[in-house]
Amino acid sequence: MRLLEYQGKQLMANRGIAIPSGSMITSLQDLDGLEYPLFLKAQVPVGKRGKAGAIRTVSDVSEAVVVAEELFRTTVGSYPVCALLAEEPVGIQQELYLAVLIDKKINRPLVMASQAGGMDIEAVAKKSPEKFFKQYFGLHTGIQDFQLRYLAKSLDLEKPAPFFDLVKQLITLAREVDATLLEINPLAITSKGLVALDAKVILDDKAAYRQRGLFQHIMEEQQKIDKREKSEAAQMAEAANIQYIPLDGDIGIIADGAGTGMLTLDMVIDAGGRAANFCEMGGQANAEYMEKAMAAILANPQVKALVVSLIGGLTRMDEMAEGIVNYIKKTTESVPMVVRMCGTKADVGISLLEKAGIKTFADLNQAIQEIIAKSREVSNGNSD
Amino acid sequence: MAILINKKTRVLIQGITGRAGSFQTQVMKAYGTHIVCGVTPGKGGQAVNGIPVYDLVTEAVSEHKVDAAISFVPASFAKDAALEIIAERIPLLVLTTEGIPDQDVVMILDQAKIMGIRVLGPDTPGMISPGKSKLGVHPHTLFKEGAVGIVSKSGSLSYEVGRVMTAKGIGQSSVVGIGGGPIWGLSQEAVLALFEKDPETKAVVLLGEVGGTLEYDAACFIEQNMKKSVIALIVGRMAPKGAQMGHAGAIIEGEEETAASKIEALRKAGALIAKNSLEIPNLIRKIGV
Repeated sequence: MRLLEYQGKQLMANRGIAIPSGSMITSLQDLDGLEYPLFLKAQVPVGKRGKAGAIRTVSDVSEAVVVAEELFRTTVGSYPVCALLAEEPVGIQQELYLAVLIDKKINRPLVMASQAGGMDIEAVAKKSPEKFFKQYFGLHTGIQDFQLRYLAKSLDLEKPAPFFDLVKQLITLAREVDATLLEINPLAITSKGLVALDAKVILDDKAAYRQRGLFQHIMEEQQKIDKREKSEAAQMAEAANIQYIPLDGDIGIIADGAGTGMLTLDMVIDAGGRAANFCEMGGQANAEYMEKAMAAILANPQVKALVVSLIGGLTRMDEMAEGIVNYIKKTTESVPMVVRMCGTKADVGISLLEKAGIKTFADLNQAIQEIIAKSREVSNGNSD
Repeated sequence: MAILINKKTRVLIQGITGRAGSFQTQVMKAYGTHIVCGVTPGKGGQAVNGIPVYDLVTEAVSEHKVDAAISFVPASFAKDAALEIIAERIPLLVLTTEGIPDQDVVMILDQAKIMGIRVLGPDTPGMISPGKSKLGVHPHTLFKEGAVGIVSKSGSLSYEVGRVMTAKGIGQSSVVGIGGGPIWGLSQEAVLALFEKDPETKAVVLLGEVGGTLEYDAACFIEQNMKKSVIALIVGRMAPKGAQMGHAGAIIEGEEETAASKIEALRKAGALIAKNSLEIPNLIRKIGV
């Protein structure tokens, strides 16, 4: 889960990391009584806000009203701007980059720092990777002082002590909240010390079960200011914890694994079909999951035909078939559908589906050819 | 032969009394996997499918010789369970569990490295050496004994490819799922190296997907270390851009992660490229396996 800037900063400030003083703006009235000049920063979970014009300087309240009105009409990424962070400027002597994350290539956490803080950090990383200094550490042993000295020297820091503290605070924070990324860019060197001017924080969704209070708090806050228009299908998939990516075609796809889901998508498009979505349920799927996935995908009015691509290992096909049949029993509207089914308990599943009059295939390609033909019949029928 | 496991491999099942654990134990046992014991805390003294259950791994290994363990323990207990296996120095641990927090996986893998234990997974279907043994959840009716190795990030994709090959009469030496999550133990290259050494394996099918940079490393490895033919299928060619979260990983590597660029890298490394699962049997026939 990606946090909004102010949420990330709050987490850091609670651990004693310095951030600029600021306040949240959700209406124009909130702009009264502030001290100007200040920055107005759109609170959207999207990178490159500076470039997108979503971070602005204003010198007085009348300018702030004009800019805020404009920002509240803007959409950044897919997010309509609904909240701004108003922050006092700090006297910046130098901008650094600092992050704590896990290098997934070698399964080790690391600290990464650079003097090239600020905008376009991705471009710098690509062009001049030598400007990034890295120190790996073990979760058991933690970071060592020599590693901190190395980083401070590489960054040419005049006062290394506050930097040492900051790195240690970030590492502790990452541990405590199960963060997979804590990034401060830029990290400002000011006359008063180090100040986090921005915060990008990603928490590990897999740790939600042991970070329940924190996750719930963050999500509730985000929901208040998230005014994205979500389709019914997307909302249903989200509520059921099913991965759903909408596309613009008319053939719905449900798969029980990411790999075969992507293969199904590739093959549908290669065969001249147009996919309406990508959806995979993961290895934990049971009958109820399957039923919810059917309901979500078919809630998309664009879907004119459905291919269910199932190949069971841990997922049991008898349970999948039960979910499909349960859904069909409860609904009156229907679109043509085919089920590709094989693997664990497929014989039971196939006979359940056939009893319910649903056509099954063992071969994925045949299932796809069939559903593309069906979807064409439907669209030809409509144009008559 | 095959890799990692064979008919003689003696197996401990961790989480043997749970829903997935007990069902898969029954399936593996019927397939011929040599299961010697199981562990579930608090359930010691019971039996599942005639297999004795212990409270502690240390009790189980004092009664039985164990070569490999497979864990069906839920994510919230998975770290503790994995470290218990590692503490007893069982040389191979298959972690099927999905959804273990990254920090826990890092700790498990750190400790495994110190103790010299191989970890397959997490979030893996495990592996099968068709006709010999199965240490995982692969639907074994889709596979048959033969000379082609399969290594895959995705479980379901390896089932599909196994099914297509078997339907055309092409069997498999071993089918290994390295794990679907962001972090995992035994690497793709390590599995490729095992296949390269295995006299029974004549060619290898590599299954990958869009996102991450795994296949670039595989391409390097294939070019430098492999004499055996590799057939590669990378799925997600049609995945919409930006659907995958591009976070700090991209900053570190600074590389393209599209299916197209991976396919190109593998092609340059000498791998034969399949567009979908159906093309794989023909490519295998072409190289005369």
